[in-house]
Amino acid sequence: MTQDASRLTSDAGNTHAEAPGVDPRAPSVRRVGVFVCHCGINIAGVVKIPEVLERVGKLPGVVVTKDYKYCCSDPGQQMIRDSIKDDRLDRVVVACCSPTLHETTFRNACDEAGLNPYLCEIANIREQCAWVTEDKDEATTKACGIVRTTLTKVVHDQPLEALTVPINKRALVVGAGIAGIQAALDIANAGYEVVLVEKEPSIGGHMAQLSETFPTLDCSQCILTPRTVETGRHPKIKLMTYSEIDSVAGYVGNFKVKIRQKARYVDFKTCTGCGACLEKCPGRTEAWFERGLVRGKAIYRLLPQAVPNRPVIDAKSCLYLTKGKCGVCAKVCPTGAIRYDDTDKFVEEEVGAIVLATGYELFDATKLGSYGFGLVPDVIDGLAFERLLSASGPTSGEVKRPSDGKTPKKIVFVQCAGSRDSTTGMPYCSKICCMYTAKQAILYRHRVHDGEAVICYIDVRTPGKGFEEFYKRATDDGIKYLRGKVSKIYRQGDKVVVWAADTLAGRKVELEADMVVLATAVIANPDGVALARKLKTQIDSHGFMTEAHPKLRPVETLTAGFFLAGCGQGPKDIPETVAQASAAAAKVLAMFGNTRLTHSPTTAEVDEEICVGCGYCERTCAYDAVKVDPARKKAVVNAALCEGCGACAVACPSGAMTHKNFTKKAIFEMADSF
Amino acid sequence: MTRYTYYPGCTLYTKARNLDLCARKAAEKVGFELVEMPSWNCCGAIYNAASDDLAAQVGPLRNLAKASQLGDKLVTLCAACHNVLKRVADRLSQPGNEVERDRLVAFVDEKFDRPVRVLHYLEVLKNEIGWDKVKEKVTKPLAGLKVASYYGCLMVRPKDVLEFDDPENPQVMDDLMRVLGAVPTRFDFKAECCGGYLVVNRRDVAKSASKKILDNAKAWGAEAIVTTCPLCQYNLDKLRVTTDGSIPVFYFTQLLGVAVGLTQDELGLEHNAGDPAGFLKAKGLL
Repeated sequence: MTQDASRLTSDAGNTHAEAPGVDPRAPSVRRVGVFVCHCGINIAGVVKIPEVLERVGKLPGVVVTKDYKYCCSDPGQQMIRDSIKDDRLDRVVVACCSPTLHETTFRNACDEAGLNPYLCEIANIREQCAWVTEDKDEATTKACGIVRTTLTKVVHDQPLEALTVPINKRALVVGAGIAGIQAALDIANAGYEVVLVEKEPSIGGHMAQLSETFPTLDCSQCILTPRTVETGRHPKIKLMTYSEIDSVAGYVGNFKVKIRQKARYVDFKTCTGCGACLEKCPGRTEAWFERGLVRGKAIYRLLPQAVPNRPVIDAKSCLYLTKGKCGVCAKVCPTGAIRYDDTDKFVEEEVGAIVLATGYELFDATKLGSYGFGLVPDVIDGLAFERLLSASGPTSGEVKRPSDGKTPKKIVFVQCAGSRDSTTGMPYCSKICCMYTAKQAILYRHRVHDGEAVICYIDVRTPGKGFEEFYKRATDDGIKYLRGKVSKIYRQGDKVVVWAADTLAGRKVELEADMVVLATAVIANPDGVALARKLKTQIDSHGFMTEAHPKLRPVETLTAGFFLAGCGQGPKDIPETVAQASAAAAKVLAMFGNTRLTHSPTTAEVDEEICVGCGYCERTCAYDAVKVDPARKKAVVNAALCEGCGACAVACPSGAMTHKNFTKKAIFEMADSF
Repeated sequence: MTRYTYYPGCTLYTKARNLDLCARKAAEKVGFELVEMPSWNCCGAIYNAASDDLAAQVGPLRNLAKASQLGDKLVTLCAACHNVLKRVADRLSQPGNEVERDRLVAFVDEKFDRPVRVLHYLEVLKNEIGWDKVKEKVTKPLAGLKVASYYGCLMVRPKDVLEFDDPENPQVMDDLMRVLGAVPTRFDFKAECCGGYLVVNRRDVAKSASKKILDNAKAWGAEAIVTTCPLCQYNLDKLRVTTDGSIPVFYFTQLLGVAVGLTQDELGLEHNAGDPAGFLKAKGLL
């Protein structure tokens, strides 16, 4: 044992009082109970349970072996609780599924029976044995090996007490699209303060760009603006637009967030949002909000209904800021709100929980070499078409094509432009395109009665309330659906030619259209991906943030205190986004319902007698949990931040750093025992 | 001067003399030498996708074995030869195909000294010589000539094996044209089919395929087309002289030759249809 015997304060050694001359705390005199779960037929169908019980029962220290069909069930847990009392167990091994599923379940059962929960270990004989081994004898031997190894560990385990930390009951929400807005409102309406950070000058996200929404065709603006206005006026919401997260330090319940407020060159307090500057500004810039359909001005707001309704200046295209000439906005401003000497400011906020609602972007279709996007002006993406349909868009809702402003008489809609294609690196379904394409075709035919709409699709997917009926409405409306992937789009005269296929008729099709709309793949917002990397929260291979469990913990992350909402986690439509945002808010509120948070005590610890402060551990730690105290030259573990990964203990050259209940001695003995 | 083992292939000795001729001369000007491998045979012409038809792999395999005795690289020029040789080399290097390879090697009774990397001439220019080096050798820049680069189907596909360029929007010839002082034009039909061998028995199909390519290049304002495939060149060039005859179709090596200062005799312009020499003179390039 490397541990100091004095630390073993509440060891259950009293059960060995009858063994004179033997140190009751020695690992060799444990009373271990081994419980083998059948998991229905998941384990018992492959592993020979009676043989495991027999072989394991002979191992030293094992005083009882039992099996049950579902150990996680109430009778199964009762069996373990009873056995702890009846057989006077001081250690428990449950051979069952992965500890990520039921470690907490069984540890709680032990706790209820009076056994320190950290003296219970899981031997994973399902995922790591039964599911991956075909031969029954081989599986049985392997299961015995896994149990024996776990047994070797459990005898070294020491009782631990869970750590508790206080909670700062303020939340940070990153991103103020509909996901962030919903989460912020839910938390704020429960009475807690929210800091809502948005990188754009106003809130609403992509939803503010949309025309009408499927499947009910209610106007996106009309349903969004009440929420944006409420958010802007909410006394509990501190709205920080045109701002980005610079860094996050601390740990669950106690984060310190540094926010960079970008230079706006407009004093928001003095500005009344009258818009005089917007009329006179001669500077021209790309207007991302209008998806390149029109050029914007250097001083701009995203839309007339912007919240907050204050413009900002784009420093790159402002004539005064780039060339020192002009200054017309300052001249016409009646309140003198223009500040050409504005700079980025940093603001620090302290919060207890963070909701990441960083949203999506559309895949850059210029990378689809054969679709002519970027080369042919009348090939546009879905969001650009939303702007053409929107009453507040550049054409006031009239469908006019970008090249010459004519009304297109025939539009080809191309679904799966980049999605469901492993060669583009986006093998996933973008989920919203089938429905929004049907919607766009319907709206186009509302605006242009003699217009022809053709939708090229691979499959039409309508899994949502009212979705299939909406799709039926589109086909009944005379919109043509052509099953086959589009291979090429190019310009010929003033037409756009689309090479498609009709796989149901088995022939190639060449379509001449006036305009083409690409349902481009939904990707995770690149700024969100960068933020996730900075925060070291998990993302998948496509950049979408990873939930803690795909089914049972869909809005939490593996980093405690971070929650997910909206398309940053994966493509989804508005109803689903709002539901997920409310779920994330509920998780935050559940956390705020506690006065203190518990944290697993299986963390790293330093033996200061050995530590020389070399700092290997600090450089290895992914959670910023270890720091070397420069004065004492000793590593210090912040237990609240430590996730117990063990990397520092591996890196430590002197052996000063150890992991509670994962000592080097235990690990070596485990390896030997297998 | 770096020497590369070079596989010309049958067409470059007959119809596509002009592709081969100026490639060799231009290489010397740019700073490398093409050494024709001895006793080469037919490349196989078409890559055989059938896994049980070993006979079709014999031709390309023998060439690869011969090349392996001379070095670890083999340079090709004809898009079809390049495609076949590269794909056979790739197929035989795949794990699981050892038996097939050993049987074929035994059959042709040749030694396989080492694995051979099949390189296209354009790959040599881009990756081995480098665009900067090529640019230094340009004595007669192409004076803003608007050129559409036509790659056809074989140069860049399948992407996983050819590893050459983006199969939908390839760039390497465009880059070369830029280096030579020309202006690469946008072009929607860079990698579409010219009609291929259908010119033999379905002339109408080949014609309509080629026409689309020529029309599109013209619509984007191209003054000339460059290609690296003898069959593409044949289909496009033949069609254009039988129709309006407006844009000449060169091999990329011919425009490379012009830019590095080859003489008119070395360009082999007499093998192109129409009056390419007249075109180049009018542009002040000859």
